[in-house]
Amino acid sequence: MATEKFVIPIGPQHPALKEPGHFEFDVDGEVVKGASVRLGYVHRGIEKGAETRNYVQAAYLVERICGICSHVHATAFSLGVERLAGVEAPPRAQAIRQIVAELERIHSHMLWVGVAAHEAGFDTLFMYSWRDRETVMNLLEGITGNRVNYSANVLGGVKCDIGPEQAEMIRTGLAFLEERTQHYLEVVSTDAMFLRRTRGIGIMTRDDAERLGVVGPTARASGVPRDVRVDSPYLLYHEHPVELVTEEAGDLEARFKVRVRELFESYRVIRELLDALPEGDLTTRIPRRIKPAETISRVEAPRGELFYFIKSNGTDTAERVKVRTPTLPNMASVVVTSVGHQLADVPMILAGIDPCFSCNDRMTVVRRDGDKEVWTWEQLRQYGIECYR
Amino acid sequence: MSTITALIALLFFPGGLVILLAGMAYEWADRKLVARFQNRIGPRWFQPLADNVKLLAKEEVVPEGVHRGLFIALPVIALSGALTAVLYVPVFGLAPASSFGGDLIVTIYLLSLLTLCTGLAGANTLNRFSLVGATRTLTQMFSYEAPFLLALLGPALAAGSWRISTIADYGADNLLILVQPIGFIVAMIGLMGKLELPPFDAPEAETEIVAGALTEYSGRGLALFHLGKGVELIVGLTLIAAFYLGGVANPIAFFAKTLGLLVVLAGLQSLLARLRIDQTVGLWWRYGAILGLVQFLVLIAWEGLVA
Repeated sequence: MATEKFVIPIGPQHPALKEPGHFEFDVDGEVVKGASVRLGYVHRGIEKGAETRNYVQAAYLVERICGICSHVHATAFSLGVERLAGVEAPPRAQAIRQIVAELERIHSHMLWVGVAAHEAGFDTLFMYSWRDRETVMNLLEGITGNRVNYSANVLGGVKCDIGPEQAEMIRTGLAFLEERTQHYLEVVSTDAMFLRRTRGIGIMTRDDAERLGVVGPTARASGVPRDVRVDSPYLLYHEHPVELVTEEAGDLEARFKVRVRELFESYRVIRELLDALPEGDLTTRIPRRIKPAETISRVEAPRGELFYFIKSNGTDTAERVKVRTPTLPNMASVVVTSVGHQLADVPMILAGIDPCFSCNDRMTVVRRDGDKEVWTWEQLRQYGIECYR
Repeated sequence: MSTITALIALLFFPGGLVILLAGMAYEWADRKLVARFQNRIGPRWFQPLADNVKLLAKEEVVPEGVHRGLFIALPVIALSGALTAVLYVPVFGLAPASSFGGDLIVTIYLLSLLTLCTGLAGANTLNRFSLVGATRTLTQMFSYEAPFLLALLGPALAAGSWRISTIADYGADNLLILVQPIGFIVAMIGLMGKLELPPFDAPEAETEIVAGALTEYSGRGLALFHLGKGVELIVGLTLIAAFYLGGVANPIAFFAKTLGLLVVLAGLQSLLARLRIDQTVGLWWRYGAILGLVQFLVLIAWEGLVA
């Protein structure tokens, strides 16, 4: 009897998870003794889908990988394809891409603050941060016409311009948001009751963070200076750089602080870009067919490094598109950091990495020696149906 | 004649139907206030009533592996405990329907019955969320019950009686919140713990254990538990208002004082993040119980020296 484990399942359907994933926590009373994770409930076959569509259609498709950080996916894909085709988007287009990307980071981080506060049972912060997030959603809608999948990118440039009127609108919105962010920073770093739930919880040391290969704000909260915008600047990040925001503690409080403090960097960079918006075209011509080559494209999504590998084969369709979203490297850290903590802390630790399950779900078939079979689309489809029956 | 009066008191007013409706009205007020504090719109006035009517009309699913009789009986016992408690407290500013020496202790234990039934209901099922929820419910009960009891015994000691109506009369003449402020605070926070309101909602923390001990309940059983909680809210507020806030001699004073307390409760609910269960226990035994005891000892010393 004593060796039998009491397992608390979280997921695939659970109020703490907004998307399906399956976690099993062995608990002894309230203390977590072991954890395991199973992913793959929302595999959508987007990579394969992108390989059966031409580049323009694929750009539309990859924007739908994530419902929160949609713009960075399109940006990473466009940057990759443009590099393959040997063209570069005009400076004005790059500036607009960067503005939308930073606005998207603001919206994503504010969403995260709300979700993580909700996991801690602090619904007031949840409601207020989501109310204020509407401001940035309206800004994005004002620029691109959409609230979620902005479709700001086209291959070779952007669709929408930012005129003086919109620039003014953005500045007004940012002023309000900056004031609110100051308040949130105060709440997450001084509210005594909330700190009882975040300080010293889910600590990931710098060594652990390096070993587990975590990315994004999760890594930066453990003191790892890792940010694609700084390490290998893309778009106009070399002219208008962001400052690396890190915290040393590695606990949940640090993850809150890193994300909230990053918002100030975003506000600053957006203002800088608006002041120095380059003149010129919004798009450049890009060939329909792209000669055989391969490239990688890395951008910093709100959750961390987003990685694209694109291989072209001389047609108007990519031979291979491989996406690695930041949730994948971060996911393992949940299993490691939650051990030894109370069950009540688990939802917060899980939310602490800002997981995005459907972005992250992949299917990999490992071909062993002598296994010559190549799976066809039809077979994969059948496998998917069988697997989830 | 007295039988008819007793039946009316039991089934219609102040016990029974009217208190159930009043419980739902207070639940609505609480939800609405919290919603407004959180910058939400909040439910419409009949939402708790609609919820309960809908739940009562639904099929009650009895899961496999439970003691069937217990599963069905526990919500009934919980609600009847809360309803019986109503008979001994001066709800709506009227004299209690029934009264005897020592009814304070009976009332407090009747109020605990709801929590106990919730815990047993969770432990009765095989659901893992329910089991954890039940453990937390009972753990929480053992932490707030003693300080809460001490906080209500303070006025009893000052009044020199265990009878609620006598204490309430004494409380009407003396504003005890000024004399025993610690007792008042402990009683208020104890009530929040009793009702599992945030920040003491670890036993039903949805992001961890779905609905806690009541996860397996649906339909009638769930509705009865909810109704019981509404009744308990009123009884608790009445007791605190009667003992500490200068009594509830008439309906106007009753509604003004209990609703005033409800605003404070709603404010606290929206201000604070949820405590973990170990933090709840620590809070109560490290501070709540000690403060309650200090208050109690001061009272005894005062009585011994002065009186």
